[in-house]
Amino acid sequence: MPSNGIDILKILEDKLQNKPVQIVPGTLGTAAIITKSGSHRDVFQILVDADEKTAVVSITGIDLGENLGVYYHVRTSNALLTIQIEVPKANPTLASVNDITPSAAFHELEVTDLIGAVFEGNPSSGHFVLPDTWPEGVYPLRKDVNACEVKLDPPAAEEKSDDGKLVKIVIGPQHPALLEPEKFVVLVEGETVREVRPRIGYVHRGIEKASESRTYLQDVYLVERICGICNSCHACAFVESVEKILKLEVPPRAKYLRTIILELNRLHSHLLTLGHAGLEIGYETLFQYFWRDREPIMDITEILTGNRVISSSMTVGGVRRDLKETDIPKVKAVLSGLKKRLPFYVKVYREEPTIGLRMQKVGTLKRENALKLGVVGPVARGSGVDIDVRKDAPYEAYGEIPFKVITYDAGDTWARMNVRMDEVEESINIIEYALDHLPEGPFRVRAPRVVPAGEVVNRVEAPRGELFYYVKSNGTAFPDRVKVRTPTFANIPAFLTTAVGEPLADVPPNFVSLDPCFSCTDR
Amino acid sequence: MIDYPLLIFRVLVFPGFTFILLFTMFCDWVERKVEARMQNRMGPSFTGPHGILQPIADFIKMLTKEEITPCDSKRNVYKYAPILALSVLVFAMAFLPIDGSSVIPGVSFAGDLIFVMALVSVANFMLFLAGWSSTNPYSAIGAARVMTQFLGYDIPLVLLALVPAFLAKSLTISTIVASQWLPFAILAPWAFVLFIITMQAELEKDPFDVPHAESEVVAGHETEYSGGKLAFLKLARDVQIVFGAALITVLFLGGANGPVPFGFLPELWGTLWFVLKVLVIVVLSEYLTVLFARLRIDQVVRVNWQFILPLTVLSLILTLSLAYWVYPMV
Repeated sequence: MPSNGIDILKILEDKLQNKPVQIVPGTLGTAAIITKSGSHRDVFQILVDADEKTAVVSITGIDLGENLGVYYHVRTSNALLTIQIEVPKANPTLASVNDITPSAAFHELEVTDLIGAVFEGNPSSGHFVLPDTWPEGVYPLRKDVNACEVKLDPPAAEEKSDDGKLVKIVIGPQHPALLEPEKFVVLVEGETVREVRPRIGYVHRGIEKASESRTYLQDVYLVERICGICNSCHACAFVESVEKILKLEVPPRAKYLRTIILELNRLHSHLLTLGHAGLEIGYETLFQYFWRDREPIMDITEILTGNRVISSSMTVGGVRRDLKETDIPKVKAVLSGLKKRLPFYVKVYREEPTIGLRMQKVGTLKRENALKLGVVGPVARGSGVDIDVRKDAPYEAYGEIPFKVITYDAGDTWARMNVRMDEVEESINIIEYALDHLPEGPFRVRAPRVVPAGEVVNRVEAPRGELFYYVKSNGTAFPDRVKVRTPTFANIPAFLTTAVGEPLADVPPNFVSLDPCFSCTDR
Repeated sequence: MIDYPLLIFRVLVFPGFTFILLFTMFCDWVERKVEARMQNRMGPSFTGPHGILQPIADFIKMLTKEEITPCDSKRNVYKYAPILALSVLVFAMAFLPIDGSSVIPGVSFAGDLIFVMALVSVANFMLFLAGWSSTNPYSAIGAARVMTQFLGYDIPLVLLALVPAFLAKSLTISTIVASQWLPFAILAPWAFVLFIITMQAELEKDPFDVPHAESEVVAGHETEYSGGKLAFLKLARDVQIVFGAALITVLFLGGANGPVPFGFLPELWGTLWFVLKVLVIVVLSEYLTVLFARLRIDQVVRVNWQFILPLTVLSLILTLSLAYWVYPMV
C-alpha cells in the first residue's frame, strides 16, 4: 500500500486518549473506531486536520434490534476507517458532520430517508430516494418493515414555489440529455444557472433490501443488475466481500481472469462515455466512431464470459468460465486493432477546436473542492487528485500488474474526458499484460453455501470511480445487510456545485463528464 | 402572347413545384446517405434502390399520423406557419434559373436578388413564428435562438451576396448567372468560402445548429409539431437547404452554365449542370456538418460579430478594388 507517511491510527490514538473512543485495527477496513454520538465529530475533526484526502465514502445505516447503527466509512490517503456509532431507535438523532466534511451531506440524507436516523445540522426536505408518496415514519431498511403492509399516500399536488426572478427549468425525469430518469431542477437567471436542486430515486429498486432475502449466490446476480455497464465490478465487489468473510483464497488464475473482465468493463464503459459526450455537444460523428469501436470489446467480453453485457462470470471462489488457450490470440487481435486507432481519438479529443470550445473551462472543479466533496474516479483524477483503488488498495491481480494512474490538473469537462481517453490505453495494456502472464491452475474453488457471521467492507475501482460494498453476515445462508455506495452517488455533488454560475448550455456536457449512472445511484 | 399550357407545365411540373419537391427529397436522401457513410453507418437502405425513396416514405408516413395542437397555442399561426414557410421558399426557388431561365418566364426583374434575399428572411421568420406560437418552453427558446442567429448572420449573407452583384454590375439574378463565363467562385474565392460558412449558419447546420440542440432544447421550434404539420415543417427545412445550395450555385458557380456548351436540348443540359453543382454544395455542407461539434449560442453570436462580419466587409472591399482595377485587365 503506498503511504505518504501519515500514520492515521497513531494520530488518532494520541489525540483521543480520554475520549470514549475504542480503536479496533484490522476490522472493517484498516480499523474500526467505535465511539458514541457526539464524540464522532472530534474524530472527524482530527481526521480532516491530519489528512487532506479525508472524505466520507459512505454511511451504512443498519438495524441492530434495539439500536440503529450508523457506520461512517471514511477514506484517508492510505486507510479506510469505519466510525461506528449506535443510537437508540426511540430517539435516533446524532450530530451531522456535514460542516466538517461536506462529503457527508448526500450520504446522511440517504440514511435519513432509508433507515430513519436523524442528523442534526443536515435537515432533509422530503424524501430523497424514496417516492414522494411513501408514508412518513416507515423506513424500508429496518427489519420490522413488511413491504405488503405499507400504504402509500395519495400523490400530492405539485407545490408552486416562488423563486423570485429565477426561471425554473426542469431537466428530467424525461429529457433528451438524460438517458435514465432523474430530476434536476435548474434555476436560471437569463442563461446563467444559479442553483441546481437534485431529486434522485426514480429508479430505486430496493436492491439492498431485496438482497437480504436471497442467498449469497443469488445475490451475486442481483447486485450485478444494479448497473448494466459496470456489472462485473458490482459482482466482483460482492464476491470479494463474501470471500473475505469466508477467508477463502481465490486461485491466481481466477484473479487474473477477473482482472481481465473488470478491465474489459472499464474499456467499454469509457468508450461509451467518450462517444456519448460527443452526442451531448452535437458531435454525432464522434459518437458513431466510438460506438463502432466499442463493439469489438463487447465481442471479446462474449468470448470470455459467454455474454455481451451482463457477463455473470464472477462467482464466490473464482470465475465461472475459463479462458481457452485458442481464444487468447482473438482477444489480442481485437485489442491491438483498437490500440492502433487510439492515437487518432486522442488527437481528436486534445486538438479538435470545437471540442475545446465546448469542453474546456466548463464545469471546473478545483482540487480543494474535489477533495472536500469526496469525488471519486475520473472526476477526482481530472481535478488532480490521484486516487485509484487499484493502486491505493490493490485487489485481484492489480498489485502485480504495472500501470499508471492518469491525472489531469485542469479539473474541467475536457480534463475528465481526457482522463478516460488515456485510461483506455492503460486498460488495454493491463489486459495484454494479464493475458501474457496468465497463471496456470484452477479457475475456481468450491465455496460453502453458508457464510459464518462477520462483517466486511470492500472497495473496487469501477469505470466511474470507487465502488464501495459493506456486507454483514449473521451466520445463515442470507446476508444481514448489504450496503452499496456507487461512484455516481459520490460524484453528483460535484455537478451541483460546478454547474452554478455557468450558462445553461454547458449543463449537458458538464453533466455527461461525470458519466452519470442513475440505476447505480438509486439502486 | 403567353403560352398558357407551357406556363402551367413550367410552374407545376418542370422546373417548378414537382421538380423542386422531388429534387429536395433526392437531396435529403443524398445528405442522409453521405452523412451515414461518413459516420460508418449504412443510412437509408431498404426503400427503393439504396433507400432512395426513404424521404418520400417518411413524408407520407408523417402525413398519416395524428396531429395534435396544443391548447395554449396561437392556433392560426401554429397551423399556417409551416405551410407559409414552405410556400415562401418554393416561391423564392422560382426566381432561380434552374434550367437556364427562371421558372415563370419573364418573372425576372431588375433587383430580384434583393427580393429573393428578403424572401429568405420571411421564411426564417415563419419558422420563428412556428416555434413561438406553440407556447412550449423548448420551442420558445428554440425560436428565440432561430431569431438571434438569423438576425446576426443575415447581415454578412446579404453583404456577401453583393459580391457577385458587383462583379456582374447588376442586381438581377439572370444577369449575374449570364456574366459568369468564369464562375465567381474562382474570381473571388474568399467571398465564396465565407458565403458557404454563413449559409451553414443560416441553414442552422453544424457547427451552428443551436436552434435545435436536442440535448438542451429537445427539437427547438419543431417540438410541439406532429403529423402533417411536422411533415411540412420538415419539408420546408429541406427546401431551405436546397435553396441555400441553389443560391450558392447561382451566385458563385455559374448556375446552369456548363463548362462545355451543347447545341441540342440546352434546358436539359442546363438542369443537369445545375443539379450537379447543387449536389456538390450539399455534400460539402454535409461534410462540414459531420466534421464539427455544435457551438454554444453565445459562441455562435461571437463568431459572427468578431470574425464573419469583419471578414465580410474586408472581402467586399477586396472584391471591389479588384473589380475596379484588376479584373478589367484580365
